[in-house]
Amino acid sequence: MALHITRRGFGTTVLAAGLALTAGAALAKGEKIAVITPYLSQPGTQFYVEAFQARAKELGWEVNVIDTQGDVAAVISRIEDVVAQGVNGIVINVDPAQIGAGLDAAAAAKIPVIGMDAGSDPRIAANVTSNGYAMAAETSVYVANRIGGSGGVVMFTFDAFPPVQVRGVIADAVFKNYPDIKVLDRITPDVSDGGIADSRAKMEALLAANPTPGSIKAVWAAWDQPALGALQAIEAAGRQNEGIVITGIDANPQARDAIAAGGNFEASVAQDFKGIGSTAADTLARVLGGETLKANVIYVPTKLVTSVNAKE
Amino acid sequence: MARILRHYGTLFGMVAIVVVFWVLLPDTFMTARNWLNITQQLSMLTVVAVAMTVVMVIGDFDLSVGSMASLAGVFAAVLFTLGWPVWAAVVAALALGLLGGVINGVLVSMIGILPFVATLATLTMYSGAAFIVSGGKTIFGRDIPQSFGDFAKSGLPLGTLADKPIVLPWLTVLALGIAALIAVVLELTTYGRRLYAIGGNAEAARLAGVKVAFLRLTAYAFTGVGAAAAGLMYASRVASANPTQGEGLMLNAIAAVFLGMTVTRHGQPRVLATLAGVLVLGVMDNGLTQLKVDSYVRQVLVGLIILLAVSISALGRRAILRR
Repeated sequence: MALHITRRGFGTTVLAAGLALTAGAALAKGEKIAVITPYLSQPGTQFYVEAFQARAKELGWEVNVIDTQGDVAAVISRIEDVVAQGVNGIVINVDPAQIGAGLDAAAAAKIPVIGMDAGSDPRIAANVTSNGYAMAAETSVYVANRIGGSGGVVMFTFDAFPPVQVRGVIADAVFKNYPDIKVLDRITPDVSDGGIADSRAKMEALLAANPTPGSIKAVWAAWDQPALGALQAIEAAGRQNEGIVITGIDANPQARDAIAAGGNFEASVAQDFKGIGSTAADTLARVLGGETLKANVIYVPTKLVTSVNAKE
Repeated sequence: MARILRHYGTLFGMVAIVVVFWVLLPDTFMTARNWLNITQQLSMLTVVAVAMTVVMVIGDFDLSVGSMASLAGVFAAVLFTLGWPVWAAVVAALALGLLGGVINGVLVSMIGILPFVATLATLTMYSGAAFIVSGGKTIFGRDIPQSFGDFAKSGLPLGTLADKPIVLPWLTVLALGIAALIAVVLELTTYGRRLYAIGGNAEAARLAGVKVAFLRLTAYAFTGVGAAAAGLMYASRVASANPTQGEGLMLNAIAAVFLGMTVTRHGQPRVLATLAGVLVLGVMDNGLTQLKVDSYVRQVLVGLIILLAVSISALGRRAILRR
């Protein structure tokens, strides 16, 4: 297990570097911080928690990572426990709407709570996350440029889930701004099977409906699974040499493999999970230093992934 | 000595755990607020564990409680989204729990399937039903009525301490009420004594004129309704409902009853003993979290404590028999 509790015992040089970085803010050395998550076993979460711990070590904090293994009510219980224990700050990565009772307990004890990709709530000092609008702008503009601003585009969206809905809004705007781009269909796939299989079926139907080579220039997907499904459909139909451009968002390992292979799936956007973790620590340091944050959502830049950097 | 160890060994152990945390966390463990927190955190497990005690009295157990808790939670939440008033949705969800419990009872007592197999099958079915009802999604936000979520956040004001109000949470009150009710049913009614008779020797009870099959069926109604109640409490606490949220309850409830059984005289499940078992599990979670023990190490320790308690009890029993 790579994760462990960080206690005392950090190098003094590292500490000095950390202290130098927090110059200006009241130094929060030796602060007790609890990171509480139901999702530690998920890859993205592990990245942010490890990056948070690394930064916290530099800041000289004692970090206690608590995994409730999917149990959201236990997150509330553990928040109450660490509030009783008297920690200096709490970091969560669960939807604040579900843990209101815990946030109330922290607020009553005046303990700041920082979210890592958690969602916004007045009781959370700041939520550190990726900008969904910006991610969608990256890929939709990539598509528009690759097809020279002209041709038929298939969109895969999912408006029922707010973080994905914002991506669709941006792609709509970008494609609308090119008079020669025609959105052939805006598909909401059935995601109960993970999203790949149904997206493939929907794409197969569209390929059948548009048999002329070049009639579909690109597939823009609001996340990677539909992009992978579309890729499978295009390859199964033997139309991989028509130059159909596919993009996704999230850059999951399967998508990276497909992009690296150099086929139709050309681009996706990677969230900087490590950056989210270390920025969450820096943000908490600011709050502990007495600063009142103006913006309570803090975005960490994302990165376009293409065949050039897919294997990084 | 062996007799004392057997009867009170676990009890000493439980007290020792509390004392250890008290010493290691002098400022934050033995406080009214922390203990009120613990009782609130344990309220859902308490309800499932005391209900589980009823079926364990007759020597059975019910593996489907966790998925029934999830199902009841999402069922009520879906009714909320359809505009049902809170009371009606709650009653409907409890009725669903009763139905699920009766199905378990029929399978075990009328059809004669082993409880392990019957309730394992219904565990899967109820869990699947929870996914169907909710569409696999978490229901939260505006779909959950304010008053439903507020229930778990409020309680009976007990006064103030250091300028902060001390409140006995409604969830705690509800859990204690349900525990008291089941304790009365098991300890003070003919019905309860007959259940213990079935647990002692089902054949002898049958020959003595106890309607074993029917009583066994009714016992499962308790776990069904209890699980549904716990699921609603959970949904209120997180102000949302998710098709998997009750999953952790089943094993902890069985563990709590077993822990409790190590305290009672004849190793029988009793409500008060189950409460002690629940408290040990909760105190371990609370204390070890405050001591910043790794979550995974905490799990290992909790398992060890259960084994230790049951071992002391088993060794004590052997020592008595050898005499």
